[in-house]
Formats: sequence, structure tokens, C-alpha cells
Amino acid sequence: MRYHWNFGTVFSQMDALLEGLVVGLVLAVVSLLIGMLIGLVLAFMSTSKSKALRIVAKWYVTVLRNTPLLVLIYIVYFGLPDIKISLGKEESFVFALAIYAGAYMTEVFRAGLEAIPKGLIEAGQAIGLKRLQIRLYIQLPIMFRNVLPSLGNYLISLFKDSSLASAITIAELTYIARKISTITFRVFEVWIVTAIMYVIACYLIAFILRRLERRFALP
Amino acid sequence: MKKMAQGALVAVMIIGMMFCLVSCGDEKKDTAAKKPSKLQEVLNRGRLIVGTGSTNVPWHMKNDKGEYEGFDIEMGRILAQALFGDPSKVEFVEQSGDQRIPNLLADKVDVCFQFMTITPLRAQLIAFTVPYYTEGIGLILATNGKYKSYDDLIAARDGGASLTVAILQNADAATNVQNLLKGAKDDQYENQGLVYQAVTSGRADAGAVDLSSIKWLANSQPDLYRDSGFGLIPQNYGAGVKPDEQEWLNFINTVLVDCMTGSTYELYNQAYIKWFGEDETITMPPYGKPRIYR
Repeated sequence: MRYHWNFGTVFSQMDALLEGLVVGLVLAVVSLLIGMLIGLVLAFMSTSKSKALRIVAKWYVTVLRNTPLLVLIYIVYFGLPDIKISLGKEESFVFALAIYAGAYMTEVFRAGLEAIPKGLIEAGQAIGLKRLQIRLYIQLPIMFRNVLPSLGNYLISLFKDSSLASAITIAELTYIARKISTITFRVFEVWIVTAIMYVIACYLIAFILRRLERRFALP
Repeated sequence: MKKMAQGALVAVMIIGMMFCLVSCGDEKKDTAAKKPSKLQEVLNRGRLIVGTGSTNVPWHMKNDKGEYEGFDIEMGRILAQALFGDPSKVEFVEQSGDQRIPNLLADKVDVCFQFMTITPLRAQLIAFTVPYYTEGIGLILATNGKYKSYDDLIAARDGGASLTVAILQNADAATNVQNLLKGAKDDQYENQGLVYQAVTSGRADAGAVDLSSIKWLANSQPDLYRDSGFGLIPQNYGAGVKPDEQEWLNFINTVLVDCMTGSTYELYNQAYIKWFGEDETITMPPYGKPRIYR
């Protein structure tokens, strides 16, 4: 038996798919921004002189980075209501992805911080900059430049993780695609179109980040 | 911009290649003229491959030992018994609801026993056997939830409450929820386990699931689940097979009809009693005109 391709049924639902893609992008962007903030704070904690802070950061990373994201999503969405914390669907997902992304970002930023030559910080101290000033004006800019390539990698990977939001019935791209495939039974067609949409979206993210990289690269 | 266009081109090429792989695979099968029939293929293999799930009581699930069990599983064993005289010569392949049709078309499984509702749209893609069960859909509630019965739900809805019904994602999910509880919002989950989770965690006010599952759960876990006492939408469950396998389809139909009305009726009855309860014991088929024509 030969498979009869029929993309028409999928293209007729393009609006819904595009809407799903936007939902996924928004969720991913919001969670990743929060995740980067978490990562930044924890990266400074894990490079600080205080042992307690370092241990807290280390455990955060160990526990969250090694927990499957889907499990985190289920715990936040289905588990938290048991202790009377009931976030909405979208909030639950953003919370789960943000704390998960935070663990990855911590490691990315930590590596960036550790790659800064000691001499630069000492130079800052020598001209009388305060600790916060050294962080803001010396460490942060250099760190961001250091980590941009690997940051891009993780951002793309974490964006694709937004597909897991479908597990708690958030209407993002994967959810819509599965819905269309169960209604029309055009399984191959739906997932091929969806895959292309993911590829294009990820490619755009990579493109923007590469632009940034080039802009901030040392001459 | 040029770089971007190049990248997009590469992406399209990769997808194109995937596309070709799927099509070419089909082409090859087409040209194999002297392919043995499916029935012969299964007999030669000495083992039946059944596509099923593991998250739907009492249809197909895994017990503490990790073995498959449930009514669909028994149906698979009855077919294996008919093929090889040995109910254990069957391998169950786990698949999600939306993989049922693709796995049949791609020859990953010989037959699909996975509480598959017979619908005309599906029958355009695969072939169905005769039905082996007629199911209905009802609403299940959490025992310690806000609502205790279907009337409670109706009263709450009429009082202006916004209700959410969890349901397994499928073609008729949205329509079914509206038929059961007009005005309710449908949350469509990808597997049945999550539907129950949504009900017990209070994420959904009720779950729209099969009547047989409601009965099973309300009886076996009364501390968690409660029957709302309302159900409708009869639907026939049939096994699915790949189209163009007439001999194979005939064989399975023969086995199913016989186990429901003929000499092997004990096999079906035992399975039925085990998974749907004693109170609905089916009797021995009457002599004379076959039961299905009465």
C-alpha cells in the first residue's frame, strides 16, 4: 500500500499552528528571561567566597539539572495544588521551565565568570572601583561576551522544550499539532509541517544570537 | 540575509530527505509482488504483535510485575490462542492513541487492540474488525472534590461556575465534552493517566472517560474516584488492521465472532467477568439461530 500524501488538511489549519508557535515562543522567552536572572544570581553565588552560598548554588544545579523537565512540570502543575499553591497552566509551565533553565544558565554563566582573567578584576580594584561596580562594569560585560555562543545553544534547546507544555494542555505548537493529527489522522503531514516550523523558529533564534555575537565580538 | 536564506535552504533539504525516506520505503513494499499474506507472515513468525497501551483501566495496563493485562490484552491472547494454540505467543507493543493508525500502516504491529472506536473517518484509513465491546462515555469525579454527582455539576454550571472537563485528546474530544456537559471547557490530555491526575488534583472538575473505566475505578479505588452517574454516546470498539489485508481481517473477524457467540465463548466470558465484573456475566450462547441475528 502506498501512502497518499495530503498536506491540504494541514495547511487549512495553518492559523492554529502559527498561533501555537507564538504561544510557545512567548512562554519560552518569558521563562528563559527569568531563568537567566536565576542563573546570573546563582552563578555569582557559586563563584563567591562564602562556602554556604556555593553549596546552595551547587545543590540547586545538581537537583534541577538532573530532573527531567516533564517531571518538574507535572510536580508544579499537579503536585503543588496539594500544598494549596495553585498556579494557572501557563504560570506553572513558566515556573517549571524557568527554574530548570536557571540551573543550566548557572553553569553557563559560571564558566563565563571563571574565564575572566584575574588581572582585570585587580585592575578594577586598583583604580578604586567598589565590588558592585567591578561586577557591573567589568565582570558582567566580559562574561556575556564569553558565554554568548554556548548561551545560544542552550536557548535553542530550551525553546524546543516548550513543546512539553502540551502535557498540561497548553495550546502551543506541539499541542495543536497533536490535536490536528488526532482529528485528521494526517500524522506524517502534520509533524513534517510542525518540524519545519520548529526549524525555522530555532534558526531565527540562532540568527539573532549570531548577530549579537558578531556585534559584541572583540575587533 | 544571504546566510539566513542558505540556512533555510539546508533545513528544507533535510526535511525533503526525510520525506523521501518515508515515500521510498513505501515504494519498495509496493514492488514486492510475491509478499506472503499477513496471516501467513504471522504464522511463520510464530508470534503475534499487538499494538496496545498501558494507561487505561480496565482495558490495557501493566501490573506490579510489569506484565500487560486488561480486556484488550485478553483479546490479543484469544487471537494468539486461535493462531498458535498458545495464548502466550503474543508480543504487546506500547503505543499512544495517536500512534494506533500510523503503526498499523507502517507494519509495526499486526493488529491493534486499544479500545479503538469504530468511526467512518478512521475506516477510510484502516480496516476495522467486528466490534468486541460497546462502550459509553461518562463523567468521573474525585471523591473528595467539590462536586458529588452529575446534578451538582449541572447546578454549578447553571449557577455560573466555569467548569473544566479533562479528556483524552482525540478526534471527538471537544464534541464529547459538550455533549456531556454543555458549556464546560475541555482540557485535552495526551494520555488517560493524566486525565485521572487532573481529576484527583482538582485541575479539572470532572473527567470524561469510558463508562467501563469509571465503573472499574469507582469500585477499586472508592477513596479517590466517584461515578457521577451520567453517561452517553455509545461507541463500538473494534480491532484495527492494515487495509488491503483481507485474509487477515477475515481471520480475526472469525476469531472474534466465535469467541462472542460460538465454541470459544468461554474465553470471552472469562475475560469479560474478570475485567467488567461478575454482575454482567454473559451467558452461554443459545442454541438455534445464532445470537447475533436474533
